[in-house]
Amino acid sequence: MDLIERYLAAVRRNLPADKATDVTAELREDLLSRIEEREEALGRTLEKEELSALIKDSGHPLVVASRYKPRQTLIGPETYPFFIFTLRLVLLVVAVIIIVSAFAAVAFGGADPLESAARAIGQLAMYSLVNGGAVTLGFALLDRNDFAARHVRSWTPDALPDIGDKRPGKWEGPLEVAMTIAFLLWWTGVISLPFPPGGNDFRIEAAPVWQQLYWPILFLALARLVHNVIQWLRPRWKTVRMILGAATAIGALAMLPVLYAAGEWARVVPMGMPADAATALQDSLNLALRIAIIAVGVIWSLGCLGELWRLARATRERFA
Amino acid sequence: MPIEDDLFDKLRIELRRGALSLGVLLALREERYGYTLRQVLEAGGLPIEEGALYPLLRRLETQGLLTSEWREEGRNKRFYRLSDDGERVLAQLLSEWDAISRSIVRLSEGNQ
Repeated sequence: MDLIERYLAAVRRNLPADKATDVTAELREDLLSRIEEREEALGRTLEKEELSALIKDSGHPLVVASRYKPRQTLIGPETYPFFIFTLRLVLLVVAVIIIVSAFAAVAFGGADPLESAARAIGQLAMYSLVNGGAVTLGFALLDRNDFAARHVRSWTPDALPDIGDKRPGKWEGPLEVAMTIAFLLWWTGVISLPFPPGGNDFRIEAAPVWQQLYWPILFLALARLVHNVIQWLRPRWKTVRMILGAATAIGALAMLPVLYAAGEWARVVPMGMPADAATALQDSLNLALRIAIIAVGVIWSLGCLGELWRLARATRERFA
Repeated sequence: MPIEDDLFDKLRIELRRGALSLGVLLALREERYGYTLRQVLEAGGLPIEEGALYPLLRRLETQGLLTSEWREEGRNKRFYRLSDDGERVLAQLLSEWDAISRSIVRLSEGNQ
């Protein structure tokens, strides 16, 4: 009998408090009935091993108790596809940010490649766990609020994109959104780079032109975020998307000459490094950035022409 | 276990899941407590583990399909029986069961 009470106590510990007494009383009654039946069939009382086997048949206390809980899963099958999609996306963005930062630290900051790789691996493990945990927790809460069922109910086939539309890849849309959010968080100082730009004896600072362009860049990034979200989630809102696309492309192009005219985009602050070496490093860094700005200008100009052409074609088709 | 057996077991469990609720509702047209209910189901060809039966009884009671009361009968036992709502739902489920059964028969005959 001691074994039965120990088993029931183990089940009871894992039951919802409001049901515990009732459920254990019922389980006790069932166990006693089964023991009676077995003893009647054998014509004797059960040995300890036989009683143990009979109790074992009832199931592990944790499993038995879990069946009385209102929820059997952390994230239900309806929410799971949304959860796994978001988890993959978040982990992808984390990996991209850490790997790009590690490369940048080696390429521009003079960091030791092996040390950077080791640090990146450590950060990948830590940030993946933290972000994975946060996403899991978020979706567990959403699942309790019937999120997936509501989303699936409100979904309509009319919102699907046209077959003829140029569709971004499966990851392109969400990745753009995630990267823009990551950029905005960094730009507004909410998060900082895992690797501070610089080396052991110097650090790299942004030139004053970036402070002058703080608000225009913030505004453009926000507009681009809206554009990317629409492209990803509301592909049928073509006109809004194209207007935003063209406006952000023109805005970025208009900002580029101001940026280029500054002539200086990064400053190398020596921290033990000889001053002439710091000046030489700053000059080559700014030369690289000058080339990058020109390249970006060419790419953005082509992109802007593309956006304007698409907008013009869509307007013509609408009024044709 | 060969893959075919494993697959068959999974499909069989899926198939039986709904049938068990129906079997429990049918058996509880007459008042019974858990242990005797399990015996009736087993004798009727629908054996069910106690670990699955009692949570199912709770769920059906929460849904308003069963009523229960504790009564002294040798020992203190919880007796269940079908509620009025349970009677109505059972009638609908039986009709659905018949429809499914007829459809399966038709489909299997069509394939011969």
